[in-house]
Amino acid sequence: MWVKLILLLLFCLMIAGAVHFAQPRESDGPTSATRDVNSVRLLTWNIGYAELEDDTRAHNKDLPAVADVILREDPDAVALQELTGKDQLNTLLGLLKAKYRGAVAQQGRTDRFEAVLVKDSGATFTPVAAGARYALAASFRPRSDTPQITLLSAHADAFNAAARRTYTEGLIDWAQTRTRSSEVFIAGDFNFELKAANETNLYTDNVKHDSESYSHILRSFRDLGRNAGDTAINDRRIDYVFGPARPVGRVEVLRNAAVGRMDHWPLFVEVSF
Amino acid sequence: MLTLLKLELEKLFRAKSFYLSFAVLIGFVALMLWGFYTYAARKTGGQAVEQFKYTYESKQYFNGLTFALYSVLFSFTLLLPIFVSMSAGSQIAGEARAGTLRMICTRPISRTSLVLTKFLVTALHAGLLLAFFIGLNLVVGLIFVGWGNLELYPGPLNLVDAPGKIMRDDALLRFGYAALSGTWALLVIAALALLCSVIFDSPVQATIMTIAAYLTLYIVGRVEFFEHLRPYFFTTDMDFWRVVFKPDIPWQSLWHSACVCGAYTIGLLLASVVIFERKDIVT
Repeated sequence: MWVKLILLLLFCLMIAGAVHFAQPRESDGPTSATRDVNSVRLLTWNIGYAELEDDTRAHNKDLPAVADVILREDPDAVALQELTGKDQLNTLLGLLKAKYRGAVAQQGRTDRFEAVLVKDSGATFTPVAAGARYALAASFRPRSDTPQITLLSAHADAFNAAARRTYTEGLIDWAQTRTRSSEVFIAGDFNFELKAANETNLYTDNVKHDSESYSHILRSFRDLGRNAGDTAINDRRIDYVFGPARPVGRVEVLRNAAVGRMDHWPLFVEVSF
Repeated sequence: MLTLLKLELEKLFRAKSFYLSFAVLIGFVALMLWGFYTYAARKTGGQAVEQFKYTYESKQYFNGLTFALYSVLFSFTLLLPIFVSMSAGSQIAGEARAGTLRMICTRPISRTSLVLTKFLVTALHAGLLLAFFIGLNLVVGLIFVGWGNLELYPGPLNLVDAPGKIMRDDALLRFGYAALSGTWALLVIAALALLCSVIFDSPVQATIMTIAAYLTLYIVGRVEFFEHLRPYFFTTDMDFWRVVFKPDIPWQSLWHSACVCGAYTIGLLLASVVIFERKDIVT
């Protein structure tokens, strides 16, 4: 009988230990809501639709909602992905009440475009060729006392990890040539399938390619949105803002922002200088 | 109890299946070595270098510690639970099938002692298997691949979310930790198989039921439909053993999962004791 009692006691001890060592739930709220005057506020958002739709690019009917989010969050620059083209960008710029200037990237092999919106009227836009695709960079100063910022809007291949790797290598090569003259940020949808927490898949070439791509970026940049959580449906964190090692203020995935059948949420990052 | 333990250990060391489990692990290490060698050769020269400009897969990355880590992680999920299930599943049901259970129970020992002794022997088998496997991988890695630091990258092994490095001596210590945490995780399987062994009279049935339950929960736990059930599967917490390979060990999470695994193990063991005490042994 005493053996059973000892076992029962051990069982209760284990339960108590499990409760004692349970991790507190992480807060989903923003890390900081205050605005640092000497900072840059960036937002990246793939405004396209989920794969099941006929047209997975951004839809014109959603642009007023996209503009509302941008006006409400008031970022200095916005990296957008999956626009249908320049017409859609012009519609969006109109909805933003001329507060932003913008450009779309050169068309690559796909039917969708990356874009960058910037508040600074003196901003310059540069197309960046990477692999078989194009990204777009904007150089600007959020305020006269802040250093020059270069923001790249990027969208890596959704279906081919090797193509994502080639694209990433091209982007980083380009970005590294700019890091001496400006603070470079790379924002966008990289489609990396990296989830360490919940999965125990063994070994695939695709995972390895994404691992190599992500690790390569982290050699030169920090993943500023690492702790903000998933950015797309199905618990995926595939939208990133990579940047220099500067103090980070508010970092938040705006989970109420998506409208229609969008499958991504915008990622907002504030970096201080 | 000590005499009983001695007798059970003698039975374990005389069983062919005990040596078979080690032989299969040696075969697995040989297979891993061949795969690792050819993969490393492919990835550190020729086409792989031409296709991509940057890679962490260099000669420095492919070292004995990386080899041992891959080998242990790949085998732990499926290979080791099978041997532990076989060992534990045959403990009571094997005696029943051989017709010796009634005779054992007529001896002046309590049924509780019998179940606990058999569990201890199974736990020893699980610990020996894992320690042997880790040791063999490290020795083979040292001789055939060479030493270096343990470099970790996000993705393939799902260990880290940013590139990290564990220095050689610290990494060896981590393999020691893994032998302990891995054995503790395997005890859940051992306790489940022992319970099945008490319930069923056939060792094959007990082993298959254990493996079926383990695989079902393991697979279902990886299907997104059941995402909300995942925290309630013992297979989820069993995975805690691998966190000792993270550059900064998350001790709180490790102790939490270790306690959950302990609760499963002791709960199942208690159920085995209670059921076996009330069991009408007719074989």
